Amino acid sequence: MCDNCGCETTEENIFLPKEAKIIKAVQATADVKLFTLKMADGYIHWDPGQFLEVSLFGYGEIPIGFASSPTRPESFDIAIRTVGRVSGAINKLVAGDSMFLRAPLGTGFPINLLRGQDVIIVAGGIGLCPTRSLIQYIMDRRDEFKKFTLIYGAKNPSQQMFKDELATWKKSSDIDFYDIVDKADENWKGEVGLITSLFAKTNLNPETRAVICGPPIMFKFVVMELNKRGIKNENIFLDLERRMKCGVGKCGHCQINDQYVCVDGPVFPLSKAKQLEEAL
Amino acid sequence: MKNYYLSENDFSDFVTRMISTKELIAPIAKGPRFVFSKIKSPSEIRLDYDVTILPPKKEFFPPRQNLVKFSSKGYEGCIDPKEKILFGVHPYDVKGIDITDTVFENNKKDMNYLANRRAATIVASNIQKVSSRAFWDTVGADIKAKGHDAFLTKISDGYHFQTLTTKGDALISCGKFTAATEKQSSEAKKVNESVNGTCPEKLKHSSKDIAKKVRDSFSKKEMWDKMAQRCFSCGTCNIVCPTCYCFDVQDKWNVDQTSGVRTRYWDSCLTEEFSKISLGAGHSENFRESRGSRYRHRIMRKAAYLNETLGGPACIGCGRCSSGCTANIADPVEAINTIMEVK
Repeated sequence: MCDNCGCETTEENIFLPKEAKIIKAVQATADVKLFTLKMADGYIHWDPGQFLEVSLFGYGEIPIGFASSPTRPESFDIAIRTVGRVSGAINKLVAGDSMFLRAPLGTGFPINLLRGQDVIIVAGGIGLCPTRSLIQYIMDRRDEFKKFTLIYGAKNPSQQMFKDELATWKKSSDIDFYDIVDKADENWKGEVGLITSLFAKTNLNPETRAVICGPPIMFKFVVMELNKRGIKNENIFLDLERRMKCGVGKCGHCQINDQYVCVDGPVFPLSKAKQLEEAL
Repeated sequence: MKNYYLSENDFSDFVTRMISTKELIAPIAKGPRFVFSKIKSPSEIRLDYDVTILPPKKEFFPPRQNLVKFSSKGYEGCIDPKEKILFGVHPYDVKGIDITDTVFENNKKDMNYLANRRAATIVASNIQKVSSRAFWDTVGADIKAKGHDAFLTKISDGYHFQTLTTKGDALISCGKFTAATEKQSSEAKKVNESVNGTCPEKLKHSSKDIAKKVRDSFSKKEMWDKMAQRCFSCGTCNIVCPTCYCFDVQDKWNVDQTSGVRTRYWDSCLTEEFSKISLGAGHSENFRESRGSRYRHRIMRKAAYLNETLGGPACIGCGRCSSGCTANIADPVEAINTIMEVK
């Protein structure tokens, strides 16, 4: 910060990552690994919905959302699905190893607009990971929010993540939690079908603030359900997925219209996303 | 701002002295065309060039730039600016550099670019020959070239040299400059004004009107698809563009397999891979899958998206994309004049 006007004058190398130590690494599903991390220099501050560029030298960098809440600052979680070369290499790491991070990046969930309101989070597949930063935040500061609903859809029971937490949420009176799978296995006793079918179970007030994170195809149908219940587009927030390569609004890969998803997002109000023709 | 004069006979000594103090980059001939290159001798310089194959941005933002070096012992950044003089830059390319300065300053400062930029002294020069696809006199015509340290103009019996910054002033000690007479300064002014209106291609509307109409044409899918019909998605238009700054970042191991570099490479939004993300299990999602949508993105970026940030279009009218395009469809003049006419 500059002494005169408080403007950002930092001239550090924005591409130089910082080291983080892996405290714990567990398989969340067959192809998703959950890492609990601590910065080697001990310091990091983030908001729910912000993201990191996670890297391993010699392999590359990938954008990953924070999967835990800043209300639990002693460490932080990220979940990585094995998709390509970088994620594959990172997911071979174990507790005690290091990874290299640039964070926090982007604009997260608008906590100030959610505070004091009914909130619904709709998470599809791996979309539960970035939204978990907000779920934990709301659960930790439960008094600051009104009714809290969470809807979670997974492909099949084996793809469900954070099973212990799901069980806790199911029992908790602090959260109306509903989950569903596209395809059941022989042990599954819950709901089967599309995520949108769970809306029949909810009782949403039109002033509810909604957060959606999941595969792009899911957005359209979830938005229809929300709109049907009188929820306005300015109160619906989307966590968009794009190729956020540099994370600092330079490289151009995540650009939608004149917006850089990695700086202006990844969270956008639907009312704004609707004006960005390539967003949805 | 100070005005100097240098005689034709003293030009060579001036260049030799500059070479002895810093790396000097200037236009030279390469076959029938021209490139910005490191100069060893004054005779190589071709100030009568029309346009160079690549714009001078490569001196600050090279096609390959190492960002981080790593080894088993640790890692460090690669910012290591070299002082250089970029000599003989046409005013349109000065505008291009001003644009990349702005975008690399914006949001978070990118010192990998800015350190190189700050270590450079830029000497602009008058346009002696207009290239066959140029339209710099009708694009963002109200925007003045700025950011250069000095301006060299060829006048009847030598050169008029205007210094604009302390870096520009520092060059005076390299040559036998005398104070320019009023006559010499007014001749230089006339020389520079005389090229206006001589570009072979012309935009017919103001930047403001173009930005609005282009922006409003976003959903004319058929029009964009038609314009991009012959596009090879090769990305040449991006590679030769002075205002394109997109890049990809890749890690590479050295042969020892323990050390390596993280490098950024110029990237092109016209290529199919540019906006593609992998979803795993062989699935992917491409947010600009059709050639039409990628072609549209480029025109939007040049004519509309960045105008607010830059105070004008992100195109400087050099015509490099027009002459570089294999399918001859990249020409912004043709594209924009067409868009302006479509109802």
